[in-house]
Amino acid sequence: MRGSKAVTGVFKYIDDTTKAVKRVQAENLEYKVYSPVPNHEIEELTVPGKSPVRFVTGTGAVTGLVFGFALAILCSLDYPMRVSAKDVVSVPGFVVIGYECTILLGGIFTLLGLLHFCRIPDIFRKPGYDPRFSDDRFGVVVGCEPQQVDRVKAALSEAGAEEVSVDEGL
Amino acid sequence: MNSHDSSNEVTYKEVNDTVLRMLEPPGAGWYVLLCACLACVGIGAASWTHQIMNGMGDAGKSHPIMWGAYITNFVFWVGIAHSGTLISAVLYLFRAHFRMSIYRLAEAMTVFAVLTAGLFPLIHLGRPWFFYWLMPYPNQRTLWPNFRSPLLWDVFAVSTYLTISATFFIVGLIPDIAAARDRAKTTFRKVLYTLTSLGWTGSNRNWKHYTAAYLFFAAFATPLVVSVHSVVSWDFAMSIVPGWHATIFPPYFVAGAIFSGVAMVITLAIPLRKAFGLERLITADNFDAMSKLILATSGIVSYAYATEFYMAWYSNNTFERYQFWFRPFGEMKVAFWGMVFCNCVAPQILWIKSMRTNIGVLFVLSLIINVGMWLERFNIILQSLARDYIPSAWGAYNFSWIDVGITIGAFGWFGMYMTLFIKFFPAVAITEIKEILPVPARQAGHGGH
Repeated sequence: MRGSKAVTGVFKYIDDTTKAVKRVQAENLEYKVYSPVPNHEIEELTVPGKSPVRFVTGTGAVTGLVFGFALAILCSLDYPMRVSAKDVVSVPGFVVIGYECTILLGGIFTLLGLLHFCRIPDIFRKPGYDPRFSDDRFGVVVGCEPQQVDRVKAALSEAGAEEVSVDEGL
Repeated sequence: MNSHDSSNEVTYKEVNDTVLRMLEPPGAGWYVLLCACLACVGIGAASWTHQIMNGMGDAGKSHPIMWGAYITNFVFWVGIAHSGTLISAVLYLFRAHFRMSIYRLAEAMTVFAVLTAGLFPLIHLGRPWFFYWLMPYPNQRTLWPNFRSPLLWDVFAVSTYLTISATFFIVGLIPDIAAARDRAKTTFRKVLYTLTSLGWTGSNRNWKHYTAAYLFFAAFATPLVVSVHSVVSWDFAMSIVPGWHATIFPPYFVAGAIFSGVAMVITLAIPLRKAFGLERLITADNFDAMSKLILATSGIVSYAYATEFYMAWYSNNTFERYQFWFRPFGEMKVAFWGMVFCNCVAPQILWIKSMRTNIGVLFVLSLIINVGMWLERFNIILQSLARDYIPSAWGAYNFSWIDVGITIGAFGWFGMYMTLFIKFFPAVAITEIKEILPVPARQAGHGGH
C-alpha cells in the first residue's frame, strides 16, 4: 500500500465493511481488508477473478507425472531386469509411480504458489493490523497521505466503523 | 437496525474463546497422560533395541509367517491414517458441515498415524539403517529398485500420503495459529505462533489464494484416500498366497480404513470434548453423522468378508477353500470370531438413533471397532501365511514380548504426538467452524462464504 499513513477502521458487521470498501474504492485509495474468515462478498468486491495458484498447481502436477514415469522408465532401462515375465518398460506397473508423483509435486507446487501469492512468510508487523481481525472483527486499512487522513477517517466512521485509528510508517 | 446476531448461536468470539482456552497451561492430568505415553514409547524403544541387538528371531517370527505383528500394525496404522484425509478432503469437497468441528483432530490423527505406521517397515527390516535401499538412487552396482513391485509402490504411496497430509494439515492450521498468536500471553508462545503462522493476517488477498489452494489440496488428497490403501492392499493381492490373491482387496481395504479411522476419531474426540468443554462445537449431531459413516462402512466391510468366503467356495480352488475354512475353525479362530463380532455385529447397534448420540456407548463401540480392525489385519496376514500351499510348510506364530512391547510403543508414540499437539496448537478448527456460522451482519442476506 502506498501512503505514509494507515487509517484503520474496525467493523463488527460485514455489510458495514463492504460499504466502507466501496467508499474507499470511490476515493481511488489503496486499501486492505482483514476478516476472520474468507468471505465471497469481500473477495468479489476487492479481488475479483480466479487465483493464479491454479497455474502453479497444474504445472506441478504435469511435472510430477513426467517425473514419475521418467524415473521409473529410465531406471529400468539403466538396469534392465525382467521380473515375472513383465516388460522392462512395464507401463501399467509404472502408472502408480506416475500417479503418486503427480499428486506429490502438484501438492508441493500448490504450497509454493500459496506462499508466493500470499507473500508469506513475512512475520514483520503490518501497519494497521489489529489482533481482533483474527477474532470477530473486520478491518479496512487505508493507505493515504497526511492531508487525506481526516477524509478517510470520516468515510470509515460513516460506513459504520466501531473504531478508527491512524498508524504511522507505511 | 436489527442485527443478524442471535443469542443462541455460537459466535465468532465464542469459537476463539473456547478453542484457544485449550492452549492454556496444562493441568496435572495432561502431564500424567504425557508421562504414560512416554512410558509406552520407552517400552517400545527398549523392545526394538533388544531386537536390534539380538536379531529378528526374538520377534516371534518363524517360517512361514514372516509378516507378523509388525506388518499387522503397519496396515492398522495406515488404516487409521486414512480417515483423516477422508474427513478433511473428501467431505470438504462434498461440503459436509459435520466435518468442521472434527476435521483438525482427524488430520492430526492422520499425520501422527502415518508417522507411527512408517516405523513398522523400518522395524520389520531388521537392519533399519539400510532403509535407504528402498529409495530410488543409483548405488555402486547401478542397481535400481524394482518399480514393478507393489512394495516400492507402497514406499511412493505412503511417502506421498505423509507429505500431502502434513501439508494439508499445516496449511489448514496457519489461520488458526495466527488467531493463537494474537492472543498469546507468554513470550515462548508469542514467538512460537509468530513463526509458525508465517505472518498470516487474513487479508483479502491472503484468503483469496488460500481458499483456491485449499481446494486444490483437497482435490489432490481425495484420490490419495483411494490410492494409498489400495496400494497397501496390493502388497497382499498381487501375491499368490491363498487368502490374499483377490481383486476385492482395494475397495475392501479402503472401506476398512475409513471404518477404523472414523472409530479412532470418535475415540479421540469424546475425551477431548469432555476435558475442554467443547460440547457446543462438537455436537451430538456430529457424532450422529460419524455413526452413520461407521454403520455404512461396517456394512461394506461385512459384505467384503462374506464375498471372500463366497469366492473361495465358488472358485473351487482347494487352497482358497481350505484357507477360508481355517479362519473360522482353525487354531486362530478366536481372532476371526472376534473380528466378526467387533466389525459386523457390534456396530449394528447404531441403527438406533439414541445410540448414535449416546456418548458413552459410542466411546465403547469405537474401542471395540479399533480392536476388531486390528484383528482383521491379523487374520488377513497371519492366518493366510500360516496355511500356504504345502502342508509341510504350515506353521504358527508365537507372539513374543518384543512384538507386544513394540505394539504398545506404537500406541504410546501416537498418543505422545496427540497429547503434545492438543496443548500447543488449536485441535479444533477455528476458521472452518466460523465459516458455517452466520456472518455478523446488520441485515440478513449478507456474507455467504
